[in-house]
Amino acid sequence: MTLTIRDVTKKYSIKSRKTVVNALNGVSLTVEKGKTLGIVGESGCGKSTLARLIVGLEQPTEGSLNWSGAPLGQGVRNGLRSHHTKTQLVFQDPYSSLNPRQTIGACIAEVIKTHKLRAEDQVNARVIELLSVVGIAEDMQNRFPHQLSGGQRQRVAIARALAAEPDLLVLDEPVSALDVSVRADVMNLLVDLKNQFNLTYIFISHDLSMVRHISDDIAVMYLGRVVEYGSWSEVLSSPKHPYTKALIQSIPEHTTVRGIDFENVLEGEVPDPANLPKGCAFNQRCPIAVPACAEKVPELLELTSHHLVACPEVLK
Amino acid sequence: MSNLLEIKNLSVVISDDKRVLVNDVSFELKAGEAVGVVGESGSGKTLSALSILGLLARGLRIDSGEINFQGKDLLKLSTEEMREIRGNQIAMIYQDPMTALNPVMKIGDQLMEVLDSHEHEIADRKAHILNGLAAVGIADPDRAFDSYPHEFSGGMRQRVMIAMSLLLSPQLLIADEPTTALDVTIQRQILALVARERKRRQMSMLWITHDLGVVANLVDRVIVMYAGRVVEVGTVEEMFKAPKHPYTAGLLASLPAVGNNREKLASIPGVPPKPWQVINNCAFAPRCSSAKDICFSHRPELKNNQTGSVACFFPLGGAS
Repeated sequence: MTLTIRDVTKKYSIKSRKTVVNALNGVSLTVEKGKTLGIVGESGCGKSTLARLIVGLEQPTEGSLNWSGAPLGQGVRNGLRSHHTKTQLVFQDPYSSLNPRQTIGACIAEVIKTHKLRAEDQVNARVIELLSVVGIAEDMQNRFPHQLSGGQRQRVAIARALAAEPDLLVLDEPVSALDVSVRADVMNLLVDLKNQFNLTYIFISHDLSMVRHISDDIAVMYLGRVVEYGSWSEVLSSPKHPYTKALIQSIPEHTTVRGIDFENVLEGEVPDPANLPKGCAFNQRCPIAVPACAEKVPELLELTSHHLVACPEVLK
Repeated sequence: MSNLLEIKNLSVVISDDKRVLVNDVSFELKAGEAVGVVGESGSGKTLSALSILGLLARGLRIDSGEINFQGKDLLKLSTEEMREIRGNQIAMIYQDPMTALNPVMKIGDQLMEVLDSHEHEIADRKAHILNGLAAVGIADPDRAFDSYPHEFSGGMRQRVMIAMSLLLSPQLLIADEPTTALDVTIQRQILALVARERKRRQMSMLWITHDLGVVANLVDRVIVMYAGRVVEVGTVEEMFKAPKHPYTAGLLASLPAVGNNREKLASIPGVPPKPWQVINNCAFAPRCSSAKDICFSHRPELKNNQTGSVACFFPLGGAS
């Protein structure tokens, strides 16, 4: 089973401003079952839009998304239902993604009942099982989200996603809102769950250290396109695209005390997705841009069999 | 170097029920020094900073302690005297510039307000503001002067806030997670800007964050807070090379390693207690792998060692 994303674009028209926001501009990716694809990029690169398309919360403007050959989320009511049980999404902030007036047990039970995954009298046993899988004690099932710590709330959100018995879990910044000391716990849990249930992950984050920790493959996105893709060790230890390089250099590492270089800083900001620059979206900020970069959008081409880069200058 | 700021035995409580949020915190900041305050949510790092400026929210109050700035106890000053220090000698930048800036007031007017409300010897106020905006990397200061905050990106708004805080050349800049909401390449730009301006102005800085990577690269000394108390103070080199407090060591160990090592992350079990729940014990003892009986029955005081200080009965790397 494979997730295949082919030439996906997503445009949002904003009527009041008479503009079109180009959130995704032709993304193609594949993820094999049991693998983790890490997606990194900054605000506006389209990573969360991609997450919403994969779980079927929204439809692509163009292109297709397939899971083991069958189209994902074509909008047919029944089709959508079964789709929801195959892919689930875990959001960044469990405080806003959990219903504050529902106990955590009821919140998980609702998923099981909606998809009729267990007989009525087995639902509670299943809730307790799911809670124990994510490390939450049985006696906490009657608590409300505000009675839990941030880490516990995210565990509940993960249990709720697992309740639908998905094949694919989309994790959109799952540890970014958590305190440093509980992040490691939740990351370890995610790694364990993946092995235990043979899950496929799409792990979206701006935090490269977390992406590096969990991903098999990494896609770097910039303004609605994948600019570099490959195995995690290739992309992070020998980045080729000038944006990937700048992104990695920008991260202040705790292992390099006073080691950061404040002189060579990537200047400028990400352009407005409603007003895409001509040619390569990165050309105005790029240290190695040539005039041709402002003419033609670079294709994502193979550098080696498992390392693709959308930059003709580094492929030369 | 002499001490620019000395905080002595500061405690902050909830006025109604006297529950403690910041518990007996002491530290100092030398002239020209950059100090990072590290801690998780609820550790008291932001409240300590707000106490310095006298900006605690309603419902909170300083229960005891001293905050000496250039030899004056800020807690004994009148509202008028405090207002003259705030923004003038001590300035602050916040995490979210959209809520720190006034959304219905033009940038230029907001900056002008800073100059209007303080005594200074700046003759051409508008020129001073335009220079200030240019210095923080705003390409078209004239246009920015007549713009509203919502017309800017998050990174540009943070630049405006930094320009505002530097208008009157304060001796001390307090920064409360000013880059947490920004993208990494923009964060890098802002860190570079702050590092450059601090050097140029010989300004002291108190940088509050949970991001150990930022601290490692930006400051001279680090203060680690846990459950309302200071648990470790040290130079940035010592702290990252040889942390003394098990909590500091645990935090550093929980970060994913750089390079190709992807072993299971070392996590700290449990969650931090609320500061008021800690009575006569080490707040970290229930989560600490090297805790012994005394850690649950006595409170470790902050003790000096060669390179800093640590509040632990069994500091790592031998007795302090």
